[in-house]
Amino acid sequence: MMSSSLLGWIIASVFFSSVFIMLINLYSKYNDDIPQRVYTLLGLGGPFVSLFLSFLLIYEHLYKGINFYYKAFIWLDLEGFRVDASLILDPLAAAMLSFVSLVGFIIHLYAHAYMKEDPSYARFFAWFNLFMASMFLLILSDNPFMLFTGWEGVGLCSYLLISFYFQSEENIEAGNKAFILNRIGDFGFISGLALLFLQVGNAGLDFASLEANIHLIPHSTLNLIAFLLFVGAMGKSAQIPLYVWLPDAMAGPTPVSALIHAATMVTAGVYMVARFNFIYAITEEVGLLIAYIGALSALLGALIAMRQDDIKKILAYSTMSQLGYMFMAVGLGAYSYGIFHVFTHAFFKALLFMGAGAIILALHHEQNIKNMGALKEKMPFVFVMMLIATLSISGLPPFSGFFSKDAILNHLFASGNYLIFAMALFTAGLTSYYMFRLLVIVFISPSSKDHQLLPQAKLIQFTLLVLSIGALFAGFINLPVFFGGDEEYSLWINLPDIRFHLSHSNELLLLISNVAVSLAGIYFALSHYMSSSKDPSLGVLDKPIEHKFYIDEIYYAIFVKPLAWLSVFIVRVIDEKIIDAFIHTVSSGYQRFSYYTDSVQNGNVRYYALYMSVAIVCIFVYLGVS
Amino acid sequence: MIYFKQPINSALSLIVTLLSIAGLFALLGGSFLFLVQIIIYAGAVVTLFLFIIMFLNIKEESLPHEPYKARWILLMSLLISPFTLFLISAVNNIKFASLHLKDFGSIKAVGMELYTNWVLPFEMISILLLIALVGVVILAKRETNRD
Amino acid sequence: MIDVGHFFILGILLFSIGIVGMISRRNIFVMYMSVELMLNAINLILVALSHHYEDLNAQVMAIMIIAIAAAEASIFLALFVMLFKNARSLDANFFTLLKQEKHHDEL
Repeated sequence: MMSSSLLGWIIASVFFSSVFIMLINLYSKYNDDIPQRVYTLLGLGGPFVSLFLSFLLIYEHLYKGINFYYKAFIWLDLEGFRVDASLILDPLAAAMLSFVSLVGFIIHLYAHAYMKEDPSYARFFAWFNLFMASMFLLILSDNPFMLFTGWEGVGLCSYLLISFYFQSEENIEAGNKAFILNRIGDFGFISGLALLFLQVGNAGLDFASLEANIHLIPHSTLNLIAFLLFVGAMGKSAQIPLYVWLPDAMAGPTPVSALIHAATMVTAGVYMVARFNFIYAITEEVGLLIAYIGALSALLGALIAMRQDDIKKILAYSTMSQLGYMFMAVGLGAYSYGIFHVFTHAFFKALLFMGAGAIILALHHEQNIKNMGALKEKMPFVFVMMLIATLSISGLPPFSGFFSKDAILNHLFASGNYLIFAMALFTAGLTSYYMFRLLVIVFISPSSKDHQLLPQAKLIQFTLLVLSIGALFAGFINLPVFFGGDEEYSLWINLPDIRFHLSHSNELLLLISNVAVSLAGIYFALSHYMSSSKDPSLGVLDKPIEHKFYIDEIYYAIFVKPLAWLSVFIVRVIDEKIIDAFIHTVSSGYQRFSYYTDSVQNGNVRYYALYMSVAIVCIFVYLGVS
Repeated sequence: MIYFKQPINSALSLIVTLLSIAGLFALLGGSFLFLVQIIIYAGAVVTLFLFIIMFLNIKEESLPHEPYKARWILLMSLLISPFTLFLISAVNNIKFASLHLKDFGSIKAVGMELYTNWVLPFEMISILLLIALVGVVILAKRETNRD
Repeated sequence: MIDVGHFFILGILLFSIGIVGMISRRNIFVMYMSVELMLNAINLILVALSHHYEDLNAQVMAIMIIAIAAAEASIFLALFVMLFKNARSLDANFFTLLKQEKHHDEL
C-alpha cells in the first residue's frame, strides 16, 4: 500500500531542489564558483524524482482504483473558515499529473542542453523547478485555495522566467505585462472564491464539500461565481480579452515558452474549469459565454498567426488558438474532451517549440522565418519532428491532434451551437494553413540568407524524439467508438460530460468535413508558399491582421496611459504639493512658534523665579476663588 | 532689608530679623531652637556672609545698577499679594489655642527626638555638611591654582 | 490678644517679602539674603505648628532646615566669590549661561 504522503513528495522534491539551487547559487556568489554539474544534478534530479513518484502513484491509482488523499497540515483555521493544505489524486488530477510530470521532465532535459552556455544557468533552473512545484501544487490540490496558491506560484515563475534576460528593457516589460494581466484575472478569481466562500464556506472548503453543497447557492449568484472564476482563467490561459501577454512572453528562453506557455501553465485555466465542473454544469449561460470567448480567441489567434514573422510568436498565437478549442469544449460540457485536447496539445506544442528552439540555436538566435529557408537538407531530423507536430496540430489522422480536435468539433456540432461550430471549423482550416506556412517557409522555400549552422546537441534530438512519440500516438488512448475504441480516457476521468448522440452517418460526415477543411488549409498554404515567400494579400484585412488588430495599442491608450497619468498626477500634485506641504507647514509652524517664544528663556534666574511665582499666584487665586 | 543698596546694610538688617525670629522661637516654647538660631544662623551664617562681603572689597561701581528698584518691588508686592492674602485668610479660619508658655521644647526633649526618630536624617545632614565643606575647599582651591 | 495665629501671619508675610526681594533685586547678595529670609519664615511657621499640635517633630525639622541652610550658605558664597572673580560684577542679569540661543537659520 503506497503511502499517500508521496503525493506531498512530488511537490516537495522539485521545491526543495529549487531552494537548494538558490542557496548554493547564493553561496557561490561570495565564495568559489560551484561547477555546473551540481546545479544540473539538482535541477534535473528534482523533476526526475517527481516523475518517478508520479508514475508510481498513478500506477497504483489505476491498478487499485483508489484515490490518494494526503493532508499535510491545517493551513488556516479561523471561525468558520478552514483551509487544509491537502492534496488529492483522483482521475482528473492523475490525468494532468501524467503529462505535466513527463513533459516537464523532458523539457528540463532539453533546457539543460539549451541553457548550457548561459551564465545564469543556476538561476534558470531554480525558477524552472519552482515552477514545476507550483504546477504540481495547482494540479494536486484538494481545495480552491491551494489551487490558487499554485496558480499564483506559476504566475510568479512565469514572470521570473519571461524576464530572465532582465538586462533588456523589453523583456522586463513583457514580464510585467504577463504578471499584471494575470493579476487582473486573479482579481476575478479571488472575487469568485470569496463569493463561493460566503455562500457555502462554512460547510467545508475542499472540492468534495463544495460539490455537495453547491445546490444551496442561488442560481444568479452561481452564475456570477462561475463567471468570475473564468475571468481568472482568461488571464491565465490567454483568452480574449486578457491574452495580450502571451506573444510578448516569447521574450523568455525557448524552454520556458515550451513548458510554461504551451504545455502547462496556460492549461491551468482549462483544468480549473474542469475541476469546478459541478459549478459549470449547472450554469449553462456562463458555459456558453466561455465557449464563445474560446471560439473568438481561437479565430483571432489563428488570424493573427497567419501574418506573423517571428517563429515563436506564430506558435504563441497558435497556443492561444488551441486554448480556445479547449475552452469551447469545457464551456459546452465536454470536460473530458477538453482535458484530452490539453493532453495531446502538450505533446505537439512542446515539440513545436522545442523544434523552433533547435532552429533558433542552430541559426545563432535568428527568429524571423523570413530569414530562414531550405533547412530541410541541413536539419532533416528537426524537419521530421516539426512535420509530425504540424500534422498533429492540423488534425489529420492518425495523429493525436486529430482525435482530440475531432472529438471537440463533433461535440460542438452536436450541441447545436452551429455558429461556434462554424468558427471552430474555419479556425481549423486556418490552423493548418498557418502551420504549413511556417513549415514551408522555414524548411522548404529557398533561403534568402546563408547561415552557418551550429551543431546540434544529441540531448535535444533525444528529447524531440520522445515527444514525437506522444504527438503520434497519444490519440489512441481515447479512441472514439466510431473507430472501434471505447473512449477509455474519457471514461476514466469520469467527469460529468454532456454526451450527445450522433448518428453514424452524421459522425462520418463530420469526420470528412473536418479532415477536408484541414486538407484545404494545407493545400492553400502549399500552393502559395512553395512558389513565393510573400504573404498573399487579404484585401482590406491586411493591415489590421498585420498589426494584430491594434489591440495592444487600444489597451495602451485606454488603460496604460490614463493610469500612468494618474500616478504621475498623484505624485506631483497630491503627494508633493498637498500632503508634503501640509506636513511641512505643521513642522515649520512649530519651529516658528518656538522662534517667537524663545525669549522666555533668557537665562536670567530672576525671571525664572518670577514666572514660577506668577504661576503659584495664579493657582492660589484659583483656589481662593473656587 | 531688601531695599538697601549696599549689601552690608542688608546683612545687618538680616541679623536683626534673625534675632527677632529667635525671640519668637523662645516665645513659642522652642528653647533649644532659640539657642540654635542665634548661635548658628545669626552667629555663623550671617557672619560668614559679612566676611565674604568684606573680602570681595566691593566698590561702588561693581554694584549693579538698579534704576527701577522701587518699581520692581512695588509691582512684585502687588503680584504676590493675592498669594499672601489667600494664605492669611486660610490661616485665620483655623482655631488656635492661646499662647502660653509650656514646658516643652527643652533641649532634652528635642535631643531625645533627634536621636531616636530622626537618627537617619541627622546622620545624613552630617554627611551633607561634610560634602559642603569639601566642596567649598575644592572651589576655593581651584581659584588659587589658576593664579 | 496675641495668639498663635499671628505667628502664622507673620511667617507668611516674611515669606512673601522674601519672594519679592528675590525677584526684584539684581544684586546677588540681596537675592541670597531673601532666600535666607524665606527659610527663616518657614522655620517660624514650623515652630508655631509644633506649638499648636504639641508635637516636637516640627522643631526637629526646623533644626534640619537650619543645618541645611548653613551648608548651602557656604557653597553659595564660594560660588559668589568665583563669579565675582570672573565677571567682576554682582549683577544677576549678567549671568545668562542658560539662555536659549536664537537659531535664525532653522526657520
